[in-house]
Amino acid sequence: MDLNQPPGENYANPKTCFFHVLFKGAALAFYILSALFFDSFVIIFVVTVLLAALDFWVVKNVSGRILVGLRWWNEINDMGESVWKFECLDHESMARMNKKDSWLFWWTLYLSAVAWIVLGIFSLIRFQADYLLVVGVCLTLSIANIIGFTKCRKDAKKQIQQFASQTIASGFTSTLQSAFSVV
Amino acid sequence: MSNPHSDTIPLHASSQSDIDEIENLINASPATVLPARPPSPPRPATIPVSSAPFIQSNIPPPPPTSSNQKVPSVPVPPPLPSSTISGGSRPNIASTGFGSPPNTLTEPVWDTVKRDLSRIVSNLKLVVFPNPYREDPGKALRDWDLWGPFFFIVFLGLTLSWSASVKKSEVFAVAFALLAAGAVILTLNVLLLGGHIIFFQSLSLLGYCLFPLDIGALICMLKDNVLVKVIVVCVTLAWSSWAAYPFMSSAVNPRRKALALYPVFLMYVSVGFLIIAID
Repeated sequence: MDLNQPPGENYANPKTCFFHVLFKGAALAFYILSALFFDSFVIIFVVTVLLAALDFWVVKNVSGRILVGLRWWNEINDMGESVWKFECLDHESMARMNKKDSWLFWWTLYLSAVAWIVLGIFSLIRFQADYLLVVGVCLTLSIANIIGFTKCRKDAKKQIQQFASQTIASGFTSTLQSAFSVV
Repeated sequence: MSNPHSDTIPLHASSQSDIDEIENLINASPATVLPARPPSPPRPATIPVSSAPFIQSNIPPPPPTSSNQKVPSVPVPPPLPSSTISGGSRPNIASTGFGSPPNTLTEPVWDTVKRDLSRIVSNLKLVVFPNPYREDPGKALRDWDLWGPFFFIVFLGLTLSWSASVKKSEVFAVAFALLAAGAVILTLNVLLLGGHIIFFQSLSLLGYCLFPLDIGALICMLKDNVLVKVIVVCVTLAWSSWAAYPFMSSAVNPRRKALALYPVFLMYVSVGFLIIAID
């Protein structure tokens, strides 16, 4: 409901794409439709937050890796400092990534965050603090993923540029070397 | 970058021998090519280590690629580190495309699940049960994660909500918000006291320390006797505080230990009261 899906052909990893969208959509759908069926806020809260947490985990650990080849996490090094690590596949594999997959990945990521913001505004208008809590939690999870992966992508681009310039430099050096040896 | 053997430009005779000499040098010691890049220490399967904030995933382990090292694009002098990162230069190295084995980018999903689950269990054991590393908190919760705390907070909220006969939703929402906000505020408290603690590590710790209270709440839900509740809550409260003590106290200046610990204790006492008072 929250995006126009392109015709489902040529996805390289249809199952992963499906799961990537499934939990996001389920959390949003459940939140919106639950008021019609359930009276109890607790169930709405727990199920929505659980679905959002599952979605966070799936995106961070599974679909991020498989659809766009990116991964981010946090480590604490020996000196007790917290270090954020960003990882991506090598240049060739990145170039081989399916365009449709990554299109789906990024668009659903952004759109679900926007959807939660809209729902948050609704509950703000209606002064429903408990529903605002739910929206807050889900929004935090979405935004964490967005920030993590965007940073990953920027690092990936920087890395590719560095690599490209070094390749050119090394190619240039080797050409010079062979040129000198000819003389 | 040209391969002299397939060149169509005829080379001068002496230069051909020079090139041969150089090629022999390269082929004779392929291993010298690799160490030029910053060596990565042998790493456990779960944590790809890098000094840069970002690593290429296809760091070739020396043995398999030394046989591929007849790559003419490798320049003659001790090569620039990047030239050994095949990236886009030669398909034979990059065909292992998805990287060397200790690499979390390509592990099967089930491995990730198992890894996360075992991390939750080990963190729980580290925090809540006696173990030799307790006095060194920096080492103890190195692998923080927020899944454990998430489950424990939700479980506590659910238990309190089930025990309540009226206003179940409010109880749950209050318990959840109290615990989540409380953890954040307690962490800020330590940071503002000039303590050295990592935000997420502290959140994770405070969440795991809720485990005894979870057990207490479960028991109180099952047995409705007030006296039993008071005893159980006191015991689990003491357990939670004992669990949180080493981490919080070592993070701050010794003269400010009490200032850091008192709010933690206060929060657990208030949760304890919630548990007792619910009927």
